[in-house]
Formats: sequence, C-alpha cells, structure tokens
Amino acid sequence: MEKVFLCKVSDLAENQVKKIDNSDHGDIAVYNLGGQYYATADLCTHATASLAEGDIEDDLITCPVHWGQFHIPTGKAQGFPCEIDLRTYPVEVEGDEIFALIAVDQALIAKG
Amino acid sequence: MGNMIKTIDVTDSLTNLKDACDLENGRISGKIFYDKAIYEQELEKVFARCWLFVAHESQIPKTGDYITTTMGEDEVIVIRQKSGGIKVFLNACPHRGNKVCFAESGSTRGFICNYHGWSFNVEGNLVGQHESGVYEDSDFDKSKWGLKEVAKVDSWKGLVFATFDPESPSLQEYLGPMTWYLDALFDNQEGGTEFVGGCIRSTYECNWKIAAENFVGDILHAGWTHDSAARAMLGGAVAKVSDFEESYSVNWNGHGYEFALDTVGNVAVLGESALNKYLHTIKPSVAERLGDFRSNMIGSVSSCTIFPNFSFLPGQNTVRVWQPRGPNKIELFTWVVVNKSAPEDVKEKWRKGAMMTFSPTGVFEMDDGENWEYCTKTAKGRVTSQQDLFVGLGMDTLLTDTPLPANVYEGQLNEANSRAFYQYWFDMLNAKSWSEVPDRNLGKKEAE
Repeated sequence: MEKVFLCKVSDLAENQVKKIDNSDHGDIAVYNLGGQYYATADLCTHATASLAEGDIEDDLITCPVHWGQFHIPTGKAQGFPCEIDLRTYPVEVEGDEIFALIAVDQALIAKG
Repeated sequence: MGNMIKTIDVTDSLTNLKDACDLENGRISGKIFYDKAIYEQELEKVFARCWLFVAHESQIPKTGDYITTTMGEDEVIVIRQKSGGIKVFLNACPHRGNKVCFAESGSTRGFICNYHGWSFNVEGNLVGQHESGVYEDSDFDKSKWGLKEVAKVDSWKGLVFATFDPESPSLQEYLGPMTWYLDALFDNQEGGTEFVGGCIRSTYECNWKIAAENFVGDILHAGWTHDSAARAMLGGAVAKVSDFEESYSVNWNGHGYEFALDTVGNVAVLGESALNKYLHTIKPSVAERLGDFRSNMIGSVSSCTIFPNFSFLPGQNTVRVWQPRGPNKIELFTWVVVNKSAPEDVKEKWRKGAMMTFSPTGVFEMDDGENWEYCTKTAKGRVTSQQDLFVGLGMDTLLTDTPLPANVYEGQLNEANSRAFYQYWFDMLNAKSWSEVPDRNLGKKEAE
C-alpha cells in the first residue's frame, strides 16, 4: 500500500474536483463532496478525457467529452458509453493534507 | 477554437435577369418566383452574403443556451458563450457532415454527433471522440476540427444577425439609418424587448420574396385581402389607409418600413383593448425617449422587412423569418416580441393575440398565405412567368426636403419600398463582390 499525497484540504473547495498528475499510478481525480473526500482515476474508462474537467452533479462525476457518468464514492459506471467502473482509492486526511492509499496491484491496473 | 467556415466560390451572375426585373419602369416578372437557376443564385449571392436574423438575445440568456435555425438553407446553431458573446456554428459535424443538434432550443454543455461520437463544447471545440485512441495514433489535430463558425455575428437592440461572408459590411453599415426606425418597436422602453413563448413554424408553397416584399411595403393589400378577418377582430373594416393625413414608405439597402402615425392601428386588430391601453400608457415615455414622431409608430398601421427575409409588424408584435426552401416553398419561423418591462398579463395578451391573427391558423396569416401561394404557382406556366407584373405605384414620391433619415417616400400606399427591395435583390445577384453593389441610397444617414 503506497500513500500518495494529493493536495491540501484548503486547496479543494466543496463540490470541486481536482486533477493530480501522477506518472507512477496514472493521474488521480480528488473530490470534495460536502466535506467528504474521494479519489478516483482521472482518465475516463471510455475515451480520452480528464474527469477533473467534468461537472459534479450530486455524487456523480460527468465526463466532459461524452457526458457519461460515474458514482464518485464507488466508481460505478452509470451506463453507456461509460460501462467499465472507475478505479477508486481509499482516502486519508491528516491535518490539512489529503492522501490516497494505492495498493501495488491496483496501481499496475490503474496504469494500464 | 471553433473553426471559421471556408467561404464559397462566387459563380457568374445570370445574364438575362434584366428581362425579369426592370424597376426603373416598375416591372418584374413571375419568373423570379419560380426559376430554379435564380433560386440557386439567391442561396449563394443573397443568403450566403447578407446579414440574416438568427435569434433574439432573450432566447439565450445563459452560457450554453442555444437555438437552432437556418441561414438560407444552411442549418445553424446559435449559442451563448461563457464570455457573454454569441457564436453561430454550422449544425453539421466536420467528420461526415451529420447534423449534431436536433432540438429547436435548449441549454447544453455541448453537442455530440450521433454518428461517431465526435463531441464539441459550447465554444465549438472538438473535445473528443469515441475510440479516441485511434485518432491519437493517426496524429489527428483536434484543434482543426471544431464546428465551423460563421464569419460574423452582431446584434442591434437584442436582434442577433449573422453573415457567412467575411467581406460583408458591418451590421451597422448594412442596416444604415433603418435602425432609427427599428428603435420605435425594439427600443421604446428601458430594458428593451424579449420574445415570449416559442417559435411557431409552418410552411407555405410560395417564393420567399413574395412574403418579404409584402412586409417591406405592401399595406395596399390589407383593406381588400383582410377585410373579413378585420371585421371579425375589430367589428369593422380595416382603416382606410388613403385617409391617413401623414404616412411614409422609407427604405435603405433593400430594407423597407412603411408606416402611418396613428399609434394603435395595428395593435387594434388583435382585439385586446388592454394592449391599446398599454401603448397609450407608455406613449409619453416613448416620446421622451425617442421623440414625438416615433412615439406615434409604436403600434401604428405599419410593417417592415430587413433585407432579405426578416420581417415584423409593430403592434401585432409578430417577428418572422421567411426561410427559403426552394424557389416555391418557404418555412416560416415566427415569434412574439414584447417590451421586457411590460406587465405579465400584457405580454400574455400579445402572445394570444398574435396566435389568433398571425399564426398558421391566424385570421390574417391564412388570407396572406393563399395569395402568396398563387402569386408563386401561376409562375409555373412558362408563358405566364415571363409576362410583366406591375410594381409602379408612387414613382415620383421621393421626399428630398424631409428631416427623416433613409430614402423617404410620401405615403404608405406606395410601391417604392417594393421596388427598392427587388432592386437590391437584383443588385446582389449581379454583384460578384460587395464593392460591385451599387449605392442607390439617396436619403440621409441620420435624422435631423
């Protein structure tokens, strides 16, 4: 399990999403849903798109390219064209810092 | 970036138009309403070059709000930008040309083509495709394949116009002093105007010019064509226009406005006395804003066409575009315009009144449609189409000592505007570039 720093709590306003570049594990999207933090892979499972450029609606993220949706807490794909679930990562908050916990085998899958 | 449209090649003009359009002698022939070759020239030399009405600002107030319409036969999307501006795109995917937006209006984050999943954002940029990896493997440059954007978009008092031609004059220059008259309806109160309700669409088997010319300057037909409808709505005949002490026909660059100064002659035919009352109530403030003269025009017996195919009736407050669909067919798009500051019940009465009179089942619209269809259909006959038609009323009525702007003619029972409309049409068809369009304007650019 690798602990990866994402961003500061103070840098992620409520109902915002932010893309964290990560060449080892693939880019990560970190979300603040009403004070709860979540992390998923940033790359859409359908086509080339950064989910962090999409819109949050309740607890769904809408891909900016074909408007497919994923459930942020579970990564569940909501329907065509997004049919493959999104990788999610457990999140830990320590003081002002948000971390993702990435299992090594998970990391390999995320990198593709 | 969206991508600017490629301008089209201008083909040679037809050589025999003069036979069908001789305005100095007040003659046209029915051929111009039925000839396919002339129609093809119109799409290229009129509709692909002139400023065309595409929307009212009030229809698309927020980012991502859009309407779809046509410029000539070209389908376009008119969409509000994050910057507050408006862009107009061809409603066609740059991959295989499929239509990307099928709705008449809405609010969206972009458009996704049904065919291969090309996706465009509000700015028209291509943001991705289904199977995006194969494009990346082909070194595909996304930035070059956005929706095609028209050359220019501009607006006057809420009316949004666009042109495909980067060489066209500015909208201000194109409208010229006609804007002084447009303000009588579109800027007579603080806050300007808005459209209420949706767009009513219908088709007629008539040539677009017949309809546009009717609004450019033909009040002559009203007392005869609309007699029964007027009796139903008013309980009496249409006002006898020749009895008006003062009325005018004014034109510029083929646009025309004919009007009396009776304040409420047009609005009265909606049969809603509350609307007459509203206009009388605002009249003093209009006089303060625009002067006495134009305060008499806010709902008077009048009509206007902005060349080529945008028309409206003050008073009835119907606004319309005669969309060309072949030489002998139009699709009519109509909307109802009201002052933003008008009370809600007044707005609603205008919407209903316009439905009763100037919708597909409206009492006046039906009268007109029948006439226009047969003005077109008779020209199907090869011999009939080449006979002279008379457009010669009011040949010597130009006023040279008036303080009013534009080319001003005495009296609204006058075919001066119709002649000016057909003359500009003729000039456009004969000009390979804007510099070849003769300036036939004789009047003043500004009111004195």
